[in-house]
Amino acid sequence: MSSDARILVVEDDDTLRETLAEVLLDEGYEVRVAGHGREALAVLTSWVPEVIVLDLMMPEMDAFEFRRHQHDHELAPQARVMILSAARDLEGAAENIRADAWLAKPFNLAEMLDAVDRLVAASAA
Amino acid sequence: MSVTQEDPRPEPDELAGVPQLRGELAFRLLVDAVQDYAIFLLDPNGHVLTWNSGAERIKGYSADEIIGQHFSVFYVPEEREAGRPMRLLGLAAEHGRYEDEGWRVRRDGSRFWADVILTALRDDQGTPYAYAKITRDLTERRAAEEQQRALLVEQRARAAAEEALRARDRFLSIAAHELKTPVASLQLSAESLVRARDADRLDDERLRTGLKRMTKAADRLGDLVRELLDVSRLAAEHAPLQLSPTDLAALVRDVLARFEEQGETHRIRFTGPDVLWIPGDVARLDQVVTNLVDNAMKYSPPEAPVDVTLAEEEAGAVLEVRDRGIGLDEASVDRIFEPFGRGENAEHIQGMGLGLYISQQIVARHGGTIIGAPRSDGHGALFRVTLPRNEGVQR
Repeated sequence: MSSDARILVVEDDDTLRETLAEVLLDEGYEVRVAGHGREALAVLTSWVPEVIVLDLMMPEMDAFEFRRHQHDHELAPQARVMILSAARDLEGAAENIRADAWLAKPFNLAEMLDAVDRLVAASAA
Repeated sequence: MSVTQEDPRPEPDELAGVPQLRGELAFRLLVDAVQDYAIFLLDPNGHVLTWNSGAERIKGYSADEIIGQHFSVFYVPEEREAGRPMRLLGLAAEHGRYEDEGWRVRRDGSRFWADVILTALRDDQGTPYAYAKITRDLTERRAAEEQQRALLVEQRARAAAEEALRARDRFLSIAAHELKTPVASLQLSAESLVRARDADRLDDERLRTGLKRMTKAADRLGDLVRELLDVSRLAAEHAPLQLSPTDLAALVRDVLARFEEQGETHRIRFTGPDVLWIPGDVARLDQVVTNLVDNAMKYSPPEAPVDVTLAEEEAGAVLEVRDRGIGLDEASVDRIFEPFGRGENAEHIQGMGLGLYISQQIVARHGGTIIGAPRSDGHGALFRVTLPRNEGVQR
């Protein structure tokens, strides 16, 4: 499914971040990237995505702190959040930071795109 | 209280040969009633003069059997033959009192663990006219103590085994976690290329970028696997050092040049002598220097300088790596050298937390030391490696 929805990718691993951005661009999404929570907050002050793809463990600011700040400053409060992480217990983490979906690393491209598609559709609904 | 004829205890007149002991009947009766201690007298030559019920209970001899016998029968044959009983009497005569712990023999030949106090009773000239001997049977206490010790040893062994298992689980869990991200990169990059190709969107630029990313992820995986193997090799001590005369100054310059070739953005400043020879394992020391410089860059902003200095001091070759990064708090300075041990402030920095552990192991096997400390000005961290120039190397 092609879409002009906006996706913010927050991931500290350069390679993975770039590749994620590339495949999402291929799908027609508008994509911004951030290397950690603080960068992501900066992006959100001027740009509101429908979906945030979020790594959990990152330098500078991790997902937990990012979500707290995002909530406190009401930055993109409607955005759907998908956790993308190698950590265990993603379900617990998702509940903790009120994420809408989670995907364990490593994952395949189709499942990732499928999950993003569903979140975009849910946000449009 | 009267003493009957049937009473096995000696009559006061049996002590007639020892005038100083006359008139002490009441005290002797008290002594005799003591069950937990063997309390008896020896003459200056070591013959038994008196016997109490505690002595009978502990040693198994009746008064009739033992009075007049030499006290060496209480000793194990080896000690008896070596003349230990008389030596102990001599020590008591010399010092006034002598305490001893050891195996003693009962009448039936069985042994017990005894605490013995031998006291010389001296006349006005200071010559011993008798020895008082108090013996306690500590066999049960000793057995209990030994059991306690054995229990402790067992508990410690079990705790160590459990900790080793937990450490292995932690190791595997962290290792798996660290491997997942580059695997994800590799997989996604490959899939992205295939997808682009299928959609006829795969131009040269896209192909080149994709392959570069895959190479980077594969390199990262390679590094992680190497780190893991290093640790397991170090743990098994299957990798002896290959010691040879090593120019540490050249080695450090090589490592720094390699970082520059890789397009490192940090300014690395090196000061040190032209040559500095030490006995070392080139590959392993390369690993240590690489790891320290890599850490300095990983934990500091890209534009921050990293200072590497090498000096020849009395203690040996001293290598210091200073950065202007997130620094080290006091609580973390020891923990960072443990496997997966990282500073409180470094939880989210990529890597397994094995580098410093590996480095420390390598340096220790060179007979050297490695320490980490916050910089005195509060900005960044300092690592100092000291390597001996000749001694202390364990292969």
